[in-house]
Amino acid sequence: MDNGMSSKTHNANSILLARRTVLQLRTEASRERMKVSKASADLMNYCTEHAMADPLLVGFPTSDNPFKDKKPCTIL
Amino acid sequence: MYWICSKSMATQELQINESLAHLKTESESLKTKLEEERAKLHDVELHQVAEKVEGLGQFVMKTRRTLKGHGNKVLCMDWCKDKRRIVSSSQDGKVIVWDAFTTNKEHAVTMPCTWVMACAYAPSGCAVACGGLDNKCSVYPLSLDKNENLAAKKKSVAMHTNYLSACSFTNSDMQILTSSGDGTCALWDVESGQLLQSFHGHAADVLCLDLAPSETGNTFVSGGCDKKANVWDMRSGQCIQSFETHESDINSVRYYPSGDAFASGSDDATCRLYDLRADREVAIYSKESIIFGVSSVDFSLSGRLLFGGYNDYTINVWDVLKGTRVSILFGHENRVSTLRVSPDGTAFCTGSWDHTLRVSSSFSFSLFSVISLSPEVLLTHCVFFFFFFLQIWA
Repeated sequence: MDNGMSSKTHNANSILLARRTVLQLRTEASRERMKVSKASADLMNYCTEHAMADPLLVGFPTSDNPFKDKKPCTIL
Repeated sequence: MYWICSKSMATQELQINESLAHLKTESESLKTKLEEERAKLHDVELHQVAEKVEGLGQFVMKTRRTLKGHGNKVLCMDWCKDKRRIVSSSQDGKVIVWDAFTTNKEHAVTMPCTWVMACAYAPSGCAVACGGLDNKCSVYPLSLDKNENLAAKKKSVAMHTNYLSACSFTNSDMQILTSSGDGTCALWDVESGQLLQSFHGHAADVLCLDLAPSETGNTFVSGGCDKKANVWDMRSGQCIQSFETHESDINSVRYYPSGDAFASGSDDATCRLYDLRADREVAIYSKESIIFGVSSVDFSLSGRLLFGGYNDYTINVWDVLKGTRVSILFGHENRVSTLRVSPDGTAFCTGSWDHTLRVSSSFSFSLFSVISLSPEVLLTHCVFFFFFFLQIWA
């Protein structure tokens, strides 16, 4: 009888897991998707629009760089 | 009596097995349908669309600051929103807050455990969160008084049943998102320590997470040892999308600045870009010569550059659109374990197993990229170069 009970719980768990997977897959399958060409064009547009504001990409005057190397001072 | 019981049990088991088989068949057919749907929309590759964009030429990156002070491997770091402070955590159990401009240490906390694998700065800049082998995430308010013992004010927020791999504050100091070796992610209220939402779905340790940029709404992405990257709805706890194309553990995930895509770095030595609206992988960043795993990835402000910290001690910089490598940075003497671009995009910080952190930024551009630019931009670059040379020769 004990063997029966543990295999029953095991089966119930497998069914629960399988049901959850199926529900998850159903939700994912019904999603709206966009063509890669359109999605890529949007990524490209974002890059181009924000390119000039990207310091690592276009650099900026050394005087504005907070991490510029410290130069030794000369006393005149 | 016994014979009737066992017969009904056998019938039940038969029904259960049929139902299980039925569910498995449906699951397989749904997976095939998903693949077909995704393939239908795969009309072109990202780098083909990006052919019309001008190339970047080669970049030179230069290390500007080296932060020394940890006694062992640096495992994680995060920038403060003030763009100059950094929090880092290490295998020796220490969490240090640095001023990256001056390289001074502002605060130091000793955790009760070693391997502090996760640390994060609060949006207000007034607290830091950290955790690791203690299975917890603790928040330490930072006081202006340097002599005050930070450990005394410590607040234990998250409790997992395995190590804490990553943590991040949400838009405020009030909530923390954590990921753990126990295979789950969780959202916690900092004040009460209450669990607000838990996220189940990964089949193995979750190693990393990243919150979507605030304009895109309440989602986050996580990556794990099950080679999957999952996108979650923070309110419902549901997994909205799942991507499984990596061939090994995903060590790092980071959203593209627009929130429409995310990048991942894995032990399979590749970084990949997944577009959320096309619902598929759209680029792979790899080279035959790169055989060591990626520990950490981050985008530059415009999303054009992807920085990757590798286990072969280097940092590779990729052109996100064209898929080519534009720069390689040497300097660390051991694995790069963590990498973040600063909030204003002027520099990026890397932490390594060589016990140090380095803050680096762009140094110059190659002549080739300058020539391919339009006249007005060319003139501006000439002016920059003029001042650059003045600085060097002065």
